[in-house]
Amino acid sequence: MNWILALPELVLALSGLAILGIGVLPKRNTHFACAMAAVGAFLLAAALAIGAPEGSAFGGQIVSDAFTRFAKVLILIGAAAGVVLSLDYNAREGLDRFEYPVLLVFATLGMLVMVSANDLMSLYIGLELLSLSLYVVAAFNRDDERSAEAGLKYFVLGALASGLLLYGSSLTYGFTGTTNFDRIADALSDPSKASSGLVVGMVFVIVGLAFKVSAVPFHMWTPDVYEGAPTPVTAFFAAAPKVAAIGLFARVLGGPFGDLAGQWQQVIVLISLLSMVLGAFAAIGQSNIKRLMAYSSIGHVGYALVGLAAASEAGMRGLLVYMAIYLLMNLGAFAVLVAMRRQGRAVERVEDLAGLARTDLSMAVWMAIFMFSMAGIPPLAGFFGKMFVFKAAIDAGLWTLAIVGVLSSVVSAFYYLRIVKVMFFDEPAGALDPRPASVSFVMAASGVFTTLFFLYPAPLVAAAQAAVAALLG
Amino acid sequence: MIAALSFYAFAAILIASAVMVVTSRNPVHSVLFLILAFFNAAGLFLIAGAEFLAMILVIVYVGAVAVLFLFVVMMLDIDFAQLREGFQRYAPIGAVIGAILLIELFMVLATWRFAPEAATLRLNPMPSGVTNAEALGRILYTDNVFLFQACGLVLLVAMIGAIVLTLRERPGTRRQSIAEQVARAGTVSVRSVPLGAGLKEIGIARPPSPEEEEPKQVEHHHGHGGHH
Amino acid sequence: MAMGGITEMAVSLAHYLTVSAILLVLGVFGIFLNRKNVIVILMSVELILLAVNLNMVAFSSALGDLTGQVFTMFILTVAAAEAAIGLAIVVIYFRNRGTIEVEDISTLKG
Repeated sequence: MNWILALPELVLALSGLAILGIGVLPKRNTHFACAMAAVGAFLLAAALAIGAPEGSAFGGQIVSDAFTRFAKVLILIGAAAGVVLSLDYNAREGLDRFEYPVLLVFATLGMLVMVSANDLMSLYIGLELLSLSLYVVAAFNRDDERSAEAGLKYFVLGALASGLLLYGSSLTYGFTGTTNFDRIADALSDPSKASSGLVVGMVFVIVGLAFKVSAVPFHMWTPDVYEGAPTPVTAFFAAAPKVAAIGLFARVLGGPFGDLAGQWQQVIVLISLLSMVLGAFAAIGQSNIKRLMAYSSIGHVGYALVGLAAASEAGMRGLLVYMAIYLLMNLGAFAVLVAMRRQGRAVERVEDLAGLARTDLSMAVWMAIFMFSMAGIPPLAGFFGKMFVFKAAIDAGLWTLAIVGVLSSVVSAFYYLRIVKVMFFDEPAGALDPRPASVSFVMAASGVFTTLFFLYPAPLVAAAQAAVAALLG
Repeated sequence: MIAALSFYAFAAILIASAVMVVTSRNPVHSVLFLILAFFNAAGLFLIAGAEFLAMILVIVYVGAVAVLFLFVVMMLDIDFAQLREGFQRYAPIGAVIGAILLIELFMVLATWRFAPEAATLRLNPMPSGVTNAEALGRILYTDNVFLFQACGLVLLVAMIGAIVLTLRERPGTRRQSIAEQVARAGTVSVRSVPLGAGLKEIGIARPPSPEEEEPKQVEHHHGHGGHH
Repeated sequence: MAMGGITEMAVSLAHYLTVSAILLVLGVFGIFLNRKNVIVILMSVELILLAVNLNMVAFSSALGDLTGQVFTMFILTVAAAEAAIGLAIVVIYFRNRGTIEVEDISTLKG
């Protein structure tokens, strides 16, 4: 039993328990200490994940390879940034309870288990550990009607998605006689022998995962949850769990169901198309910026799934690079959203950014960079993400997907540029409150990455290439 | 033969009670039908040879989950007379879609076949000569120890979540201070209290009143914001 | 009961799968068409998970493999945790709004 492979998970589990202890025992407020301990645990786990040996452990239930390394490091960066963004906001909104970092540690543990899963059981338990923690943090502002409603909607649709995923898992188990990914792949190595029952099961699994990544037509919870949840929670939702869910999608479809690519490719093409189009058009009329970012994230999931739809090595690599870039630039954009407060109250309408360039030029410039990058304007990082996936789609002969992708990028540029226009050319709506150093740090780090990615993209692309080799090999 | 007959009985009651769970107007009835459904599902588990899971289903689901549901239904002060009639608008189209889905699932499931290699791919073939509970125990705590512990964390998260969402500490409530009680030196002490003296003057501790607590909390916030 | 082969069940697998499919459809039906009470939606989720468990146990029995039963144990555990969190969220929702009717859950829209 090679438990060393699960070292990052074990470290997170033990630190979660320790932080819970630190939080409960003293009679004072321990939110800040617990949050810092959580960030420390994330960084330690990331260091361990980078140095983790390869192989499979616990009877093949979890694996450690280049793909898990890639995904885990991204997830841990996203989670650590998510906690840092919450520090000041939670203290000001009276949400500074130590349970918040504890729940985020367990959610992150769930994500790590998800991406290293090599078995339907570990997939399910990792996913549920993540989901249950997220249901609670979505409703964390329990005296706010909108937060409670966000938690309720997220819970009902998330539970339904888990149920459908499980039903699909049960049919897969019933056909192949096993839950282990490698063995499922063995059973399906000859696609002509796959029965209709198995294909139905696979479709159920895809539907469940599509719910979790909020791809159209299973996206309906996303705008409400993003709008209703407290802003740092939304920032957390949009970063690490998205990478974990997309990574899981790639693992499941590329691994156990890899030989059935002919069957699932059409489904992924369809949901990718719909997500891109809806993400582009539905965001146009939004006045709430959190809601706008929700539609934007649906669109980005659509672009990322273009890479999966290509079902090729280049496509998978594009998917991973896209998610890495999306994670890092999205954290910056959400740092701006977290910093949006005026006279002590959080504001979240697009008009509240009006004239930001005159009151806080550096924040306006960073936000403009994030918006240009999300719209895919060169030479910012977002452009390269889109380029990789579209190129993979063209190589795979999916011209429709690439063309619709480019067109919806153009449409979505409209609302990203509207934000830039509001910030730079509208009359100031009054200065925003000074932003805390923690938020500025995330904003600047993310902004530097987004701006300078084009100078030195090789390490990220090489890491993604190694991850894909492990995933498909 | 007996197995087949009891299967049909359990299955029929299970489906009937599931229909009632979904359609009944009174949520208390829904919970009671849910309990019935769990009992009959446990019967089906027994017929399939999963004795241990049948027991667990009764103990955990009927004993804990369904009672939790009942508790919440009763705790939330819902005016049952006011509950709207459900289903009327969407029921027909829903029934049609449900029936189509069901027929499709039947067509797929009725002719179920296994992968040719399924028998060799199994990870945990049922051992002969041991009870179901022992066989499960042997693999649950060994091969699946990682997931078993992860499940423990899922339960911990549920506990933290339920507490953080619903527990409200009321200031000014009198709590028993067990440590202080245990640390008392004498057995029972009788004090002679001067006539007309207030509690404060004698030095009997009272719980702080809510007004006194207020400024403390404000300070707390300030001290905290100073970190950034 | 030949080792290595798929075993004979007292009741055919198709019967079990049929019952479980009916439960699944009822659960999904309950989630989407319920207009009155959120708690009934949570119960519908329990029905879906019951359908999955029935499937797992039936396959486990038909395949002569214990993995399905272990999976069911995990699903039961997680479902209990899920019910606890779901009910906690319903309770805070009720405290905020004073209602749990589904049609009233629409503050957030756009």
